[in-house]
Amino acid sequence: MTGETRGAMPGETAPRMVEAFAHAAGSAAVRVPGGAAGWVGTLTHIHIAPAASYEMEAVSEAVCVAGRGIEGDRYFLGTGTYSPKPDVREVTLIEQEALDALNRNDPPLQEGPLRLLPGDHRRNLTVRGVPLNHLVGRRFRVGAVILRGGRLNFPCRYLEELLGMPVYLPLYNRSGLNCGIESGGVIRPGDAIALLD
Amino acid sequence: MTARLIMKLRVADAVATTPEVLHLGLVHPARPELPAWTAGAHVDLRLPDGRVRQYSLCGDPADRGRYEIAIKREEAGRGGSAWAHDTLAPGAFAHVSAPRNNFPLDPDARRHLLVAGGIGVTPLLAMARALSASGAEYAFHLCAPSPEQAPLLAAVRTVCGPRLSCWFGSEGRRFDPDALGPAEPGTHVYACGPQRLMDAVQSGLVARGWPVERVHSEHFAPLRDESFVPEPFEARIASTGQVLHVPADRSLLDVLRSAGFDLPSSCELGVCGSCECGYRDGTVIHRDAVLPHAKRRSRMMPCVSRARDAVTLDL
Repeated sequence: MTGETRGAMPGETAPRMVEAFAHAAGSAAVRVPGGAAGWVGTLTHIHIAPAASYEMEAVSEAVCVAGRGIEGDRYFLGTGTYSPKPDVREVTLIEQEALDALNRNDPPLQEGPLRLLPGDHRRNLTVRGVPLNHLVGRRFRVGAVILRGGRLNFPCRYLEELLGMPVYLPLYNRSGLNCGIESGGVIRPGDAIALLD
Repeated sequence: MTARLIMKLRVADAVATTPEVLHLGLVHPARPELPAWTAGAHVDLRLPDGRVRQYSLCGDPADRGRYEIAIKREEAGRGGSAWAHDTLAPGAFAHVSAPRNNFPLDPDARRHLLVAGGIGVTPLLAMARALSASGAEYAFHLCAPSPEQAPLLAAVRTVCGPRLSCWFGSEGRRFDPDALGPAEPGTHVYACGPQRLMDAVQSGLVARGWPVERVHSEHFAPLRDESFVPEPFEARIASTGQVLHVPADRSLLDVLRSAGFDLPSSCELGVCGSCECGYRDGTVIHRDAVLPHAKRRSRMMPCVSRARDAVTLDL
């Protein structure tokens, strides 16, 4: 259970941000050649929320701080709820293509199409043309900011409850990517996204 | 308990419905539709200092474009209502949760009797709107010191028409539960208001032979039981076998929190229903004012309720 879950379980310590590449998924993937290359994607939306459960707000630019997150966002402020498993969660991304698929009722794991607007999904960055599942353990650029892909995000029951929509199954394995910020800066919708290595 | 989205809503209008009660219309600054709700539901209003207050929705459940609440200024209260009255002018923003319903209309009822006292009119006005829209059979009893001190009176009159009976102290009319008549099959009573009125309705109707499950009420304040002496007990966690000691001077919710169980919570007075959790065995001492009788065998509110000796929680 990752995604936005409710706090730490008994016996486990509070969430701790770790180096994206030190995560088991990232460290294994970084040594493996291959994956989609040659693509150029676009940042379409930026959303932040001040704390857990608060509705996401769209912003026209955002300051990314290396090792922390987006200024004003819950991950930056340490006021979010998330899995206590070691993970990097400074910025989260999701593909617009995944949202489009839900809107087409693909796969039909629920009663009908699910219309999820950017921001409903509670990820920070909505992107188009970016193969996020290929970016585990990779470095890539969003405008002037350099991100490192940590492990894949997963939908969770908490998200379903907040949205009142059954997104858990249809978003499985396309719920986006958790990233660390290697080099900070200002990003804006429209910024190009490209693979570094 | 489910997680609820907290939205930043704009005050579209703020009107004094009585000298003490502010009637607010809230809209989303970007979305045309707010989360759906049913009559009897409330929202949480987040105060700037992090405190939370519950207010029943009094608008039309069929209107997804706005939420309406009415807030009575409680000078002797804890400051929430005074903040709202002083701050929530048109154009201001407020953090408001998605609605939750602890006080729903019974879907199997054939006839509904609504009893409102003072600001307790809010959930019942929404019920009257829903019942009118569906053509259901109902009657509305409104109790207040005077017409001038009856919040939302004009709206209640418009919605209920001849189904409304007013009980104004200034006119020498005091509500008597006998006005509701005998407990006819399929008739349910819903009451919301000051404790004195609630006690009169609850105990009066049960004494007149009404089944307790057909008398529904919503409380604003915790139940008063000054004679209750809390005793220590053990709480066992079903999933892990962990046993937690709950001392007499701490709540079960507090002990669970210290052990890392991050249950949602809001009022911590036993009225909002946020921290509801399941239990499997043990004798639970229910001290909340929100859990329906039918659910008390398996659910409890750990903020105020306790157990005799031990309880096994579904966590």
